[in-house]
Amino acid sequence: MSRRTRRTLQTVAAATLLVGAATACNAAAKNDASDSAGSGGSGTSFTLVTPDAVGQNEFLKLAVTGIKDAAKAHDGTQKVYESTDTASQQQNVQAAVDAKPDVIVLVGFEFADVVAQQAEKNPTQQFLIVDACTTKTYKNVSCAVFREHEGVYLAGAEAGLLSRSGKVGAVDVLDTPQFRRYSDPFAAGAKQVAGKTETSTRFVGGQSPFDDSARAKEQANTLLSKGYDQIMAAAAAGNYGVFEAAKAKGAYAYGVDVNQCPSAPGTVVDNVIKRTDVAVEKGIDAVLGGTTGTTVSYGLKEGGISLTGLEDGVDSSQCVIADHKDVLTKVEALRDRIVSGELTVDDPAAS
Amino acid sequence: MFLDSDLLMSALRALTPILLAALGGALCERAGVFNIGLEGMMLLGCFTSVATSWFTGSPWLGVLAAALAAAAYSLILAVGAVTLKGDAVVLGIAMNLLAVGLTSFLLRTVFGVQGTFDDPSLQGLPLIGGFSPLAHLSWAAVAVAALLLSRHVWGLRLRGVGEAPDAAATLGVRPATYQYGVILLSGVLCGLAGAQLALGNVTLFTENMTAGRGWIAVVAVMLGRAAPLGVLLAALLFGLAEAAGFRLQGLGLPQQATDAAPYVVTLGALFLTTARRRRTPRPSGARS
Repeated sequence: MSRRTRRTLQTVAAATLLVGAATACNAAAKNDASDSAGSGGSGTSFTLVTPDAVGQNEFLKLAVTGIKDAAKAHDGTQKVYESTDTASQQQNVQAAVDAKPDVIVLVGFEFADVVAQQAEKNPTQQFLIVDACTTKTYKNVSCAVFREHEGVYLAGAEAGLLSRSGKVGAVDVLDTPQFRRYSDPFAAGAKQVAGKTETSTRFVGGQSPFDDSARAKEQANTLLSKGYDQIMAAAAAGNYGVFEAAKAKGAYAYGVDVNQCPSAPGTVVDNVIKRTDVAVEKGIDAVLGGTTGTTVSYGLKEGGISLTGLEDGVDSSQCVIADHKDVLTKVEALRDRIVSGELTVDDPAAS
Repeated sequence: MFLDSDLLMSALRALTPILLAALGGALCERAGVFNIGLEGMMLLGCFTSVATSWFTGSPWLGVLAAALAAAAYSLILAVGAVTLKGDAVVLGIAMNLLAVGLTSFLLRTVFGVQGTFDDPSLQGLPLIGGFSPLAHLSWAAVAVAALLLSRHVWGLRLRGVGEAPDAAATLGVRPATYQYGVILLSGVLCGLAGAQLALGNVTLFTENMTAGRGWIAVVAVMLGRAAPLGVLLAALLFGLAEAAGFRLQGLGLPQQATDAAPYVVTLGALFLTTARRRRTPRPSGARS
């Protein structure tokens, strides 16, 4: 081995070690088990596995609330396993399976594959996946999915009522049917309340569409410069870029999943939220009631999808909609029509 | 309606981070170091600028800290490639991977959040004449780099180190000193690029927020043949292609097609420049 190659190898080894060290810090699996609630009289037990640390993640906090409520309702016990990355997700699922609780609840698409494997190996273990499903159906895997488009439609109605320019737009992640659930119904909702509304959607795209807030901001700017004054932000991490753009032009924006109003008070009007707590609690009820292996969809009717403005605590939400009670009244009426089945919202992802 | 001032402004905003990073890459290239760690250094700059601006309340200190942190980070390449004679490509890739892991890890430990750190009270850079001060700086840097490379003795020696290190050494120029210098300088420029992205283009930090801009800068270096003006034109081309891609979506073109715009432009530009290069014999001496 020549001196040159040996040196190169040394450098490569050093570089690999460095990368390894950095990832190792992340890979340390966090197995936070928080045990509480209930006397455990009946011995029913539930385990929630989250894809990320719960921390300030509102979406996951709601899931934790859901499992605590379920434990209380069924006089059982619950545990929460928080993951930090792909490796710890798998470890946590394995740990949950080993503990054999009555139901293992998992939140997020990250778990679809690992649950499929585990469900086959452990046919007596009951699983509940929230916000995703396995591609194949299993007798012991139940799924809870959301009809996001219904909430987005209501947000669109708010936009239609609040728009001064008569132009409402959306910044979406990618042009796929699943993501169009966040943009097409927004336009439809606005047209429902103001027929002449002009609508347009921009997709972030690019090399990392979910992280690129600078690109999302530019997409929002192209809409704003054409006079669009209401922007649905469905750009994942790019949402913050959309809010910045809207704030700079004095326009309004709409968030998703959780209450995003505090990141730009006065700019974010309302949010389409997923009530993971409702899905977890109702899903557990169904599994314990003997209904397993089914996929249940949660929308406005089931209380699984809602707007921040339609929930309790709207006055302290820092959302713009709190100052527009008249708009909320109209949106509530629209929601009631969807709940009663009188009005159906087109689902772009329907095949 | 299609070509208007908004389009130009959008293109110029997209241009600045790429241009700063590409200038750093071009200087390294001229000194014979192939630097593909631009993306990682930029990402580190993004995080450092946001963290510093948040804790000190001053975006200017954020910019300074980003430049220093990225320069310190570039030492990995300098020591590895120049002193230890390691493979610059392997080192660059390692730096890019490490930066993604490191910034995600720091985001969790320093701010206790995952994914994105964003706060209404985070201070971004002010605009001067409609542009970020770092945009002005990037244009000045192009002029300075072009003059230095073509007119100054340092530039001559730098090019000498890149083209014939042994010859340069016999004339009393120490190649290692020059290579260390440009690698550290590319670190500073990438740090500024990151600060521009995280405190100028937007005011927040997202994991992996550079989103391939460092790689586009690497391509801009090649396309511009590592000459400051060439790099400026190449980066401008990317900026325009991206901004025009956004507009095309407005005209009803599908997103998948408009996403291809920068790459189509790159291929076209590469085709045209190589065709021209074939006709004119490559000069053995200096260009800038």
